[in-house]
Amino acid sequence: MKVRERWDRWERLGAAAVFVVFDDPELLRRTMFDDIDVSSLPFDVAVDRSRSTYGAWGLERARHRDIWLDPNVYRTYWQLLRAGDRLRPGGSDLLQFGGDFVVDAAGKLVYSRAQERDDRPPVGELLSAAKRAVG
Amino acid sequence: MASAPQPGEAAPPLDLPTLQDGRVALADLRGRVVLVSFLRHAG
Repeated sequence: MKVRERWDRWERLGAAAVFVVFDDPELLRRTMFDDIDVSSLPFDVAVDRSRSTYGAWGLERARHRDIWLDPNVYRTYWQLLRAGDRLRPGGSDLLQFGGDFVVDAAGKLVYSRAQERDDRPPVGELLSAAKRAVG
Repeated sequence: MASAPQPGEAAPPLDLPTLQDGRVALADLRGRVVLVSFLRHAG
């Protein structure tokens, strides 16, 4: 969660963050959050087991070829391994796409990017959108 | 499935339990700018 590394910038904006996951909480605690005390995080991690919220926000599932034929997927994993990260067992659905959104104080979207491949936006792009929303 | 909402549109609802054993609702965060980031699979 690169947002966490620059959380001070989000705090200065008075912004909040909600990360949404869909896997079983126990799996998440053993994998994605195995070295993180979730109670110490400055933002909420919401669990959408049914993925109804994923659906309401228009987030789709990839096709197998979207994942396994995308050179970005291999490039990303290679970079992670070179940086010393470790491969972790996958969650329950490798095909579910994510997405990033910034909502203004009135509840309207100012930034929307549903994932279509292995292409999350840089944190700076999200921060810029949040700054514009704050004004 | 709905298409992804676009800038200028109202954000869809979000009201979910949290890993922190609480609950979070986007409506309760009205008045603040909020980053909503949907992650992919664990790991």
